[in-house]
Amino acid sequence: MAGHGLNPSTGSRTPVATYLDDLGTKLPGPRRHRSQILVELRDGLDVATDAHLAAGMTTERAQAAAVAQFGSPQEVADAFAGELTTTYARRVVATYIATGPLVGIWWLLLLHPNPWQTGPIAIIAAIPVLPLIAIAIVVAGGTLATTGRLMRWLPETSPRGAAAATMAVAGVSVAADLTMIGLVTVSATTSALLAIVAVATSVTRIACSTAVLHQATRMSRYRHAE
Amino acid sequence: MLPMRPELLKGHLDALLLAVLEHGPRHGYAVIETLRTDSGGALDLPTGTVYPALHRLERAGLIASNWETVGGRRRRGYHLTPAGEAVLGEQRAVWDQFATAVTAVLARRPWPATA
Repeated sequence: MAGHGLNPSTGSRTPVATYLDDLGTKLPGPRRHRSQILVELRDGLDVATDAHLAAGMTTERAQAAAVAQFGSPQEVADAFAGELTTTYARRVVATYIATGPLVGIWWLLLLHPNPWQTGPIAIIAAIPVLPLIAIAIVVAGGTLATTGRLMRWLPETSPRGAAAATMAVAGVSVAADLTMIGLVTVSATTSALLAIVAVATSVTRIACSTAVLHQATRMSRYRHAE
Repeated sequence: MLPMRPELLKGHLDALLLAVLEHGPRHGYAVIETLRTDSGGALDLPTGTVYPALHRLERAGLIASNWETVGGRRRRGYHLTPAGEAVLGEQRAVWDQFATAVTAVLARRPWPATA
C-alpha cells in the first residue's frame, strides 16, 4: 500500500499528504463534504502511486507522479466548486422545507387557534407572511427538482443559480421571522408560553439563516469551472 | 496524435463515464483510468477534475455509490443505475446521429466535376 503522511526516511510531509493538505484549504464549502472528497481522492492517489511503484519507481517519485496526474490543487478545487455549491444548496433548502413546519406550527397555534373553522383568508389575515412562505417553498422545491433526479427531464440549475436560490429562501425566511416577531410584540396574545416558544424558534431560524446567507454568498463568489 | 482540447469533451463526459460504468462497478480512479486507456490515451484529463463529474452523475441519479474498506483504505465504488442505463442509451442514439451528420459534412470528398 502506498504510504502518505510523513516520509519515514526524511520525516518530511510526503507529496500526497502535502497535495491533500493544499487541496483541503482550497475546497469551498462545509467541512464534512470536503473531508469525504479528500478521503476519496486519497484512495485514488494511493492506487495511482501503487501503479507507479509496480512500474519500478521509488516511493517519493511514485507519489510525485500520482500527484502530477491528478492536476493542481487549484484546478481540482475549481472543478469541485460547482458540485460543492450545488450539494450545499440542496441540503440547505431541503432543511428549510423539512423544518419550516416546526417553526410555523407555533405561530399558527398562537395567532389562529382554530384554522379548521375559519378558512384560509382568516389564516392569511392572522399570519400575513404566508404568501412569502409559499414563494420560498416554490423556490426551494424548484431548486431541489432542477438539481436532482429530475435533471434528466428539467433544465439543470447552475451552481450560481442554486446559491442564489438558497440566499433567496434564507432572506425570505429572515423577513418572515422578523415580521412575525414584530407582529407578536404589538398584538395581545392569548398565551405567553406559546409566544415565547414561537419567538424562540423564529430567533433560532434567523441565526441559522444568517449563517446560511454568509456561507452561500461566499460559495457563489467562488470561481466555478464552467 | 493531436492533443484533445478539454472543451471538446464538454457535453460528452457524462455519456463517456456512464459507458465506462456499463462494464461493471468501479471505483473513481478506475473509472478515470479506463476512460484514458479505452480512448488510447486521447481522453487524458487531470484525474482530480473528473471526480466532480462522477458526483454530479450520482446527484442526478444516473449512478450510485457505496463506501467500502479495501486493504484498510476507504474506497468509494460507483455503479450504473437503471436511469443511467436509459440515459446512456439515449446519449448513444444522439451521438450516432450527430457523428453521422458531422462526418457527412466534414468528410473529404472528391472535387465535384463541372458539367
